[in-house]
Amino acid sequence: MQNYELGILDTRNIIKTLNDSCNYDFKNYALTFFKRRVEYIIKKHGLKNAAGFNEKIENDKNFKDLFLKEICVETTEMFRDPSLWRYLKDNFLPKLVPNTSSFKIWFPEVSTGEELFSWAILLNELKLLDKVQLIASSISNKNIEDIKEGVLISKKIESNNANFERIFSTKNLTNYYSLKDDKAFLDTSLIKNTKFLKQNVIFDEFPKGIKLVVFRNQMIYFNQILQERFVKSLHSSIVPGGHLIIGNNEKIDYWNCDKDYTQICKSESIFKKKLS
Amino acid sequence: MYKAVIIGGSAGSFQVITKILNSLPENFNFPVILCLHRLKHVRSGFVEALSIKSNIPVIEPFDKDSIKAGTAYLAPSNYHMYIELNKRIALSTEEVVNHSRPSIDLSFETAALAYRDKLLGIILSGANKDGAYGLKKVKQMGGTTIVQDPKECQVSTMTDASLKMSKVDHILSTQQIINFLLKLK
Repeated sequence: MQNYELGILDTRNIIKTLNDSCNYDFKNYALTFFKRRVEYIIKKHGLKNAAGFNEKIENDKNFKDLFLKEICVETTEMFRDPSLWRYLKDNFLPKLVPNTSSFKIWFPEVSTGEELFSWAILLNELKLLDKVQLIASSISNKNIEDIKEGVLISKKIESNNANFERIFSTKNLTNYYSLKDDKAFLDTSLIKNTKFLKQNVIFDEFPKGIKLVVFRNQMIYFNQILQERFVKSLHSSIVPGGHLIIGNNEKIDYWNCDKDYTQICKSESIFKKKLS
Repeated sequence: MYKAVIIGGSAGSFQVITKILNSLPENFNFPVILCLHRLKHVRSGFVEALSIKSNIPVIEPFDKDSIKAGTAYLAPSNYHMYIELNKRIALSTEEVVNHSRPSIDLSFETAALAYRDKLLGIILSGANKDGAYGLKKVKQMGGTTIVQDPKECQVSTMTDASLKMSKVDHILSTQQIINFLLKLK
């Protein structure tokens, strides 16, 4: 268990420092999450306390980008929630993609990249990878560099493989990565046409003309104010009839949101933007 | 004086939880936060099984749901469940803690901060140390702590660890826990 604990006041101080010295606004992140995450970063880098953290962030340029990487939660595993992926494979994607040109899929925060690679693999299996444009944004340059190299956190390989087999019963995920020393490397040709954007989705402009947004288990790190603002902004980014996929226990929740989105599948969190 | 009840359990706790939910009245005036270890791939079935005998609604909350009295909130599979200071649920997919997601320590620790001395924390049967640290935090923040009598537990690793880590207020049998809850004010 963690032995360093931030007080609420210290946490708010850190939020202020990040805003004043780097222009990063974390005040609408979920507080318990943010506090816990910063405690983890303080401990990992031996910074002792809030003052130590603030000093480092103000004076060490490299630490800023590292902080942005570490504030992002690693994706738990590839193909998390196999039932969603089975639905995407059997029902959702085959009907959707072939009928359109320039099918843009946007990942507003790719974090450690497992979700992006999972999508690329699924599309490849369905022979649809050449028909889509994947766009992957991240708050952290370091995340984007690591993803481009295909590095996979090897302790997760077992659950990745198990998930894959639950979706493609006769196939094996090992075709898509190679093992070198103690690390696994995903086949980076899968993402050779992916467009990467270093951006902070909370402030920066959203790409337009998106057919599908994949943002699973990322909104949970926002408070309800930021969630609402974010989903409303997404609305102008997604084309009419386009879709948004969020995590199982996430919801779209703002006044009159039923006017904008309908859930297309009862058991999975897939929402369709209404036509008008 | 209480504002919420939080219960943690693992192996051997299912029947105890069922009994407790079955004994609470429909108008039970506190939220019940449940963090129970569960299989990661089995998303459905658990909340339904707990609901059958419960007199209060049992739900797997959505992220940022407000916590209300008279409802039981079960931590969803493969998520940690935190309690925000504004008494909302916050879910997280951060690393497993004590080999568990949901982790009882994390739910208890965040609930302790949100409810302070108005929280009742209960640790039940289980085969893992998860929860012991969380229960200590409940006590530290001024809350009341109960551990199921290890003699009664199917597996007593969790209760033993909790008793070792902090000075617990009460060691009670399932029936005594129920009586305690029924008198809660």
